[in-house]
Amino acid sequence: MSTPVRRHALIGLAVAGLVGVLAAWLLLGAGRRATTGFRAEREAVVSARALAELVARAGAQGDQVRQAVTRFTAGDQSIRSARVIIFEGLSLEASTFPEDVGDKAAPRRLAKEEKPLFDQGQRLRAAAETNREDQASMKEEIEVTPMADGSLQVAAPLSRDGAVVGFLQLIAAPPAVVAQAAPWWPALLAFIVPIALFALATTVLPERRLALSVAGLVLLMAGLLGFARVGSSTLAGDRGAAENAVASHATAVGTRAATLAGELNLAGQPFDPSAWDVTVFSKPYGVFSPTGQVDSAKLEAATVSTVASWRSLFWLLGGISGLLLLFFSTGLAARLWSILVTNRGAYFYVSPAMVGMLLLVFFPFFYGIALSFTGSTIYNTDKSIPQIWVGLKNYTEIISDVKVAQHSAGGWAINYQNFYWTLWVTVAWTISNVAIGVTVGLILALILNIKGLRFRPIYRVLLILPWAVPNYITALIWKGMFHQQFGVVNQVLQMVGMDPVSWFEKPFTSFLACLATNGWLSFPFMMVISLGALQSIPADLYEAARVDGASRWRQFTSITLPSLKPALVPAVILSVVWTFNMFNIIYLVSAGEPAHSTEILITQAYKLAFEQYRYGYAAAYSTVIFGILLLYGTWQNRVTKATEGI
Amino acid sequence: MSTRGLDTVRHWPLHILLGIMVIITVYPLLWVLTVAFSGQQGLAIVQTPQDPSVLDRLRAITPWPEHVTWSNFTAVFADQPFARWLGNSLVVASATTLLGVFLACTAAYAFSRFRFPGRRAGMMSFLVAQMFPGTLMLIPLYIIIVKWLGLGSSWLALILVYSTTSIPFCVWMLKGYFDTIPKELEESALMDGASVQTVFMKIILPLAKPAIAITALFSFMTGWNEFILGATFMNKESMYTAPVGLRFFVAGFSQQWGFFAAGAIVTAIPVLVLFLVLQKYLVSGLTAGAVKG
Repeated sequence: MSTPVRRHALIGLAVAGLVGVLAAWLLLGAGRRATTGFRAEREAVVSARALAELVARAGAQGDQVRQAVTRFTAGDQSIRSARVIIFEGLSLEASTFPEDVGDKAAPRRLAKEEKPLFDQGQRLRAAAETNREDQASMKEEIEVTPMADGSLQVAAPLSRDGAVVGFLQLIAAPPAVVAQAAPWWPALLAFIVPIALFALATTVLPERRLALSVAGLVLLMAGLLGFARVGSSTLAGDRGAAENAVASHATAVGTRAATLAGELNLAGQPFDPSAWDVTVFSKPYGVFSPTGQVDSAKLEAATVSTVASWRSLFWLLGGISGLLLLFFSTGLAARLWSILVTNRGAYFYVSPAMVGMLLLVFFPFFYGIALSFTGSTIYNTDKSIPQIWVGLKNYTEIISDVKVAQHSAGGWAINYQNFYWTLWVTVAWTISNVAIGVTVGLILALILNIKGLRFRPIYRVLLILPWAVPNYITALIWKGMFHQQFGVVNQVLQMVGMDPVSWFEKPFTSFLACLATNGWLSFPFMMVISLGALQSIPADLYEAARVDGASRWRQFTSITLPSLKPALVPAVILSVVWTFNMFNIIYLVSAGEPAHSTEILITQAYKLAFEQYRYGYAAAYSTVIFGILLLYGTWQNRVTKATEGI
Repeated sequence: MSTRGLDTVRHWPLHILLGIMVIITVYPLLWVLTVAFSGQQGLAIVQTPQDPSVLDRLRAITPWPEHVTWSNFTAVFADQPFARWLGNSLVVASATTLLGVFLACTAAYAFSRFRFPGRRAGMMSFLVAQMFPGTLMLIPLYIIIVKWLGLGSSWLALILVYSTTSIPFCVWMLKGYFDTIPKELEESALMDGASVQTVFMKIILPLAKPAIAITALFSFMTGWNEFILGATFMNKESMYTAPVGLRFFVAGFSQQWGFFAAGAIVTAIPVLVLFLVLQKYLVSGLTAGAVKG
């Protein structure tokens, strides 16, 4: 047992087993809690919907409603309190909330500080109406909010004659049933038995890494699978119990509602408790019948879906712990450990920065790439990546949409949201900016390099100023100067007898305005770089050229330009990347106006993410931008070999 | 072309050209000053009459306010939460500088002085990290920082993000400088029994002061001038940084150009001065950091 090969294999099995089984045990516990929570939520929704129907039958307004609410909540342990808010007249129609007593008792008008209540109602109404119009269940029309003390707040819309007239808020008491912890003894067995068997097996197995690794892997998987079976049946049992509980809760609520309706003389069809059991999108679960009979096929499907998600997580876990085992048993861990120990000084110094980079640069980067394969939006950030995986859909949507322009009756209309249009704008933007920057910067540098020119230092300082101003300030200043009515640019145009221009109403002028802004702030960089390079050209070169009879132009092309190249080429590369990603100018000056026509790729990606909340699509968009830059970088690298000698 | 001598008479066309360029360069800055000192919120320097003559137009573009007053400056601090925003920026930028310089110094020292497995890969990964487009990082960072860690509208969010995003550049710059410090100094200290820590603290850091100063300046300017991340993470008005706040004055239907101008001047002056004083180093750092790797 003492040889390193055996030791590594045993440590590997122990570590992998511990990690795998512990994680599985925790997952199982979380799964059980989730089922309990799910059940509590559904029961609360059933109660709320039952009461909502009762209130609707009572006419949604008046004494009958107050009677219904008070008596419905009083007879039920699982309901703490409820209230009804009617939009018309902003009235709190009925309430059993402890704070709504005395002079705040219902019925009354909502107070100013109760605006959140009103907002919630408007939200629910909008969601319910959208769902109805689109014939879809896209928006949450029932809001379930867990409260700090474990109770649940359910808010459901109140309909009457097909219109949402108000909403109902119900506080459900914390669930009486607390989730049981995951059983610990199967976990312990799943961990210990493989180790014991492995210890026995090592006495007969040859001392080979391969043999020991395989044996360890088999035992590890056997242990994990054993525990997975226990877990699956536990979860399936929980889910079945939960469905039955919801069904019986709904039937009980239905009976009470029917009794109450009879006592209050409310006319109407018999209640259908199964219709109350819906998702927050108001989609029925349909697991039980109106009479409370649980449909075994539906129940089967529900448990299968619970167990399936647990299983897929479990496979992931098995894979991870298997890799962990191999990592140890192949001796990789030991080697890595010895490298770490030998170079501990270096790693000690690198680790703070490296950890920071891993967590906040590399992890987000790869997470972003992963998101680009999902349909992530603001509505499903709580879902895991596999649940919203869409494959290459986002990419094909971006790349394959080549309908840049459409022919219609009024001529050609360009689709400004199209990727290729934005790409074209970005390329035009980059090239024109860099061209302006280099030309203006170079000319100014050549002039400022003339010896004997007066006021050179003053010119230099004044001309460098735009670089020193933070670029978001520059952008906002120019935005102000391009104002259609009061901006100074239009004043100047009018002074020379031209008509004022509405800069941001046409794509071309809008683009020009951005170009002017960016040109203003980017030429000093090129100027300073060129000036530095010019000043390092030895004067004797020109002397020698003049002696040889070279013309001014000849001197410029054969001495000045070649000497500028080593400094200018990297500067151009840098400014191409900067300009390509120059978010602030476009975002703040034109903001893409008109109609996203002057958007560049980076601002478009931002808007996709933070104005349309299509995170996955925006991530794919950004990945494409990264790909373009990477292509450009490698191409540039080949051409210039600028990064040689790192 | 440079030895024409003191023939200043022949330079007048150049002076005209330079003069035009200087006007273009300086005008927007004078315009901000004018709006800031006008005491008005509007964009117009003066009210032009109904049917303006050329002279009226000329007055309208002359960067001098009708009445010079400090009222925009006093109002932006007294009536607007601008002092608070400036304070947020100061805290975020200072903490970013401290954290960023610490992280960059230690990592750059290791990359410069030790040969260890993963060194080259580490440095290359830092280089590649600079190519990651902002928006690709922004969405995951938003999800991580705001949704998972719940750090939305907090100083810590921006400090963490700014200091890590500035690491690659700072590390490359500092590493280049550390490389120029002769190794003999440390070797003799190590021979005398000093620990690596002592060598780092007592020899390397004091010798690298100029480079550290530039790194610190760079980190500070990153934190002080950054706009997108600030605008994305800081949703509460009281937690805005100065750039986000300045934009707030003139975004959408808000047209408080006087407050914007006054605030912009207050915000920009420190970095402007620092920049003009230190630009020589910044340029060499930029090119060295970007080109030599």
